[in-house]
Amino acid sequence: MSIAPIDTGATQIVGIEATPRVAKTAGGESFGNVLSEARKAEADATTGAERFAKGDPTMGIHEVMIATEKANIAIRYATTVKNKALEAYRELMNTQV
Amino acid sequence: MSTIDFFTAMEVSASGLAAQRTRMNIASSNLANAQTTQAAGGTGPYKRRDVTMASVPVPEAKGSQFAGAVHGVAVTAITQDNSPPRLEYDPGHPQANAQGYVAYPNVNPVEEMVDMITASRAYEAGITAMSTAVNMAEKALGIGK
Repeated sequence: MSIAPIDTGATQIVGIEATPRVAKTAGGESFGNVLSEARKAEADATTGAERFAKGDPTMGIHEVMIATEKANIAIRYATTVKNKALEAYRELMNTQV
Repeated sequence: MSTIDFFTAMEVSASGLAAQRTRMNIASSNLANAQTTQAAGGTGPYKRRDVTMASVPVPEAKGSQFAGAVHGVAVTAITQDNSPPRLEYDPGHPQANAQGYVAYPNVNPVEEMVDMITASRAYEAGITAMSTAVNMAEKALGIGK
């Protein structure tokens, strides 16, 4: 009589376990994209500032400012995503069993 | 398409700023040469320049469902205004013709000032649009704080 409930419990645990695995891969990939975006924006800002300093006529003040602002946003975005992921991870690790 | 979609608005504003900067350069060039009786490498007075702008699709927006709807701006041509020069009677001038008239550029300083003010205001508008996009991105980053 009590065997059936134990079986149901086991399948439920398997189902719960499968979902986070998918989420983890997707989250990891998108975080990689966010990071590469931030890195690209940062590199653009650096080369832009360099070109401006060297006197490149196609590089105006506003281009440098915009590139810097883009890098700022991209890096803050990456940091925010990282913080959120870390927060979620800590939340899970602090789960009382 | 960029992951961060706010960048599209920034690209568009940046193209507008660049175009207005070019307009400003041309307006100041016209103003500076308002009395130039000899054009560089040629005969006759300086001829005023005009800026032609065209809208261009933003590469960042490709692949998005709004691709083709968002356009930046680009300066496609800087053309010479071939309207006749202003003639002033000044027989003592070294550039005076046989009748004693000197050909001055077809630049109207008042017109150039208006062009310059328009460029300056459009630049400010571009900066405001850009700051708004940045503010929106910053507000979005603040979600949950």
